[in-house]
Amino acid sequence: MIGSIAWKNVWRNKKRSLVVIVAVTLGIIAGVLLIGIMEGWTKQRLHNAIYNEVSHIQIHNNEYIKNEEINLTVSNPDETIHSIDSLKEISGWVKRTKLIAMANTPWANTGVIIYGVDAEKEKRITEIYREIVPEGGRYLDNQSPGDILISDKTAEILKLKQYMVTDSTIESLKREKVPGSVIAKLETLKDTRFRSPKDFREALRQKFNKKTLDRYGLLMTDKALDYRIRNKVQITCSDKEGNPVQGIFRVCGIYKTTNTGFDQVAVFVNDKELAKLYGGNEILTHEIAILLDDIDDAGMVREKLSRISGDNSVRTWKELAPDAALLNDFMILYYFIFIGIIMLALAFGIINTMLMAILERTKELGMLMAIGMNRKRIFTMIMLETIFLTMAGAVVGIFSGWAISAALGKTGIHFSGWGEGFEAIGFAARVYPVVTLEFFVFTAIMVIATAIISSIWPARKALKLNPVEALRTE
Amino acid sequence: MKILELKNVNKIYNSTEVKVHAVNDVTMDFEEAEFAAIVGPSGSGKTTLLNMIGGLDMPTSGEITICGTNLSKLKSSQLIDFRLKNIGFVFQSYNLIPVLTAKENVEFIMTLQQWPEKKRNERTIELLTAVGLGDRINSRPAKMSGGQQQRVAVARALASRPKFVLADEPTANLDSKSATTLLEIMEKLNHESKITFIFSTHDPRVVKMAHRVITLEDGKVVTDVKLE
Repeated sequence: MIGSIAWKNVWRNKKRSLVVIVAVTLGIIAGVLLIGIMEGWTKQRLHNAIYNEVSHIQIHNNEYIKNEEINLTVSNPDETIHSIDSLKEISGWVKRTKLIAMANTPWANTGVIIYGVDAEKEKRITEIYREIVPEGGRYLDNQSPGDILISDKTAEILKLKQYMVTDSTIESLKREKVPGSVIAKLETLKDTRFRSPKDFREALRQKFNKKTLDRYGLLMTDKALDYRIRNKVQITCSDKEGNPVQGIFRVCGIYKTTNTGFDQVAVFVNDKELAKLYGGNEILTHEIAILLDDIDDAGMVREKLSRISGDNSVRTWKELAPDAALLNDFMILYYFIFIGIIMLALAFGIINTMLMAILERTKELGMLMAIGMNRKRIFTMIMLETIFLTMAGAVVGIFSGWAISAALGKTGIHFSGWGEGFEAIGFAARVYPVVTLEFFVFTAIMVIATAIISSIWPARKALKLNPVEALRTE
Repeated sequence: MKILELKNVNKIYNSTEVKVHAVNDVTMDFEEAEFAAIVGPSGSGKTTLLNMIGGLDMPTSGEITICGTNLSKLKSSQLIDFRLKNIGFVFQSYNLIPVLTAKENVEFIMTLQQWPEKKRNERTIELLTAVGLGDRINSRPAKMSGGQQQRVAVARALASRPKFVLADEPTANLDSKSATTLLEIMEKLNHESKITFIFSTHDPRVVKMAHRVITLEDGKVVTDVKLE
């Protein structure tokens, strides 16, 4: 019956209780979403770091990590690979040639790291092949040895990311129901080639007002995009003797990961074709990238490989992508900070509401004490009222938060205005919030704990009432 | 049989400037099934005396014994439990729990004493019927008149078959008709259940119906008259 009275008491002042319940609901939705976004970013960053950039473990020559010279290859690569194959925790590995080079086009040049890979084997370890942009050609294949795969960012730097309004651009804009007046103005730019996004944006700015650009600018830029697939890129690097050598590759595809820093430097070619460039009969192995079945085994596998791989340096993803490792390790701290702040704010709201409720019911509490309701029961009643009040909001908040996160987890949230900035530091511009069951359990525990802690002060206040004095109040 | 004894009971309030002797050396006792009124002008000590008899306040000196139990010897938690089992309260402003129905308000005391549900139900219906509210058992206090609320309060006070019921100015907020109905019900219940009723009152209608009238002045008992 105490529980029933407590529940009914929650609804005595409906407006006030609803304000608290809505506050709890919104607080929890905000918390769930914030944590969901952070978790989504962390997971995406971690996934990108491992499956596009560094894998779980990498092996290099000890000296290579200090000085990336062509001759500093992995020591005893065959024995090392034999050792790798003997470990049951390993799901796959790939050998790479990795050289510092200069990429040139007739319009620009940039420093790059050129990876010589076996395209088919590489697909088993990295997911770059899944990151080919629309209209961006294809991934490397072993049948077209002279190909080079570059990133959207590198294409932009080398001015291979060009813009041109063509008949096909106009047709697609019409299909997107862009007004005729806008299309008519855009047609005046037809067949003019713009060699950078900046030039094209500038041309659009001169033709259209801000409102039109805000509405159709992105769509027009998107439809006018023209990657120069099959364009030649000249690669300059050193041969084994340290002499500069040059080779021509043709762009087969454009990829784009969520880390601009990686994209800006990483280009991929066929390892045999690269070997022709630096000379010699064998393909040099500068890097062995390893994927494990379980990320948690990385430390242990590293220890095992360190013992058997001699002069080589064995590093885990935590050392190779410290930003992702830091983010992953600190996620639990983020949970506590975010949820702690939200719970603190909730606690103040709850305490205030309950103290007001007790003040209003002083006489009634005096009566209950007078007729024989003991302290334990009064304490329990106030505590239950507080818990019910909080949990009513918490249940709605947790379920709404889950529903919103689940919906956004499918569509993602696109931070279009800050996309470039996020990608520059390795975060995706489109984040897919992830909220785990553990997080919901943790949040529910935190809410219950907050409710219990918040109820102590009002409940103690009620216990301190003197029944005779309480009965005299009006 | 004596159910309540007061021996040289004093209550002195010490404020910073003056000492107030609210109850002054009161000695008296109450038998089973009495219907007694404590009367006197405002400030004569009626409510203070009633609070002490009900164990809500402690005397500065003297002893109050209920069925052989000296109240001053009980710990705070024991006193609450003692009140629950032995004393019924009726307050001037009814003091029902607004979120509960008439039935739930009456049942509440029995629930606190962990009576079985069937017994609780029977007793509640019996009492609400006795106070003339058999048809209002599911009404909330806000939907009832003052007189009806006070009748629910009487039913609640009697619910756990206490040794006596203390009623502090029970008719003060009622109109004449409601007050008369209430008093008749209380007298009938007193007669049938043999439960002692002790009122503090200014109301001449209560005095008229009382079987014993105790008059207080300046905290002292000036007359104690038993009427037949």
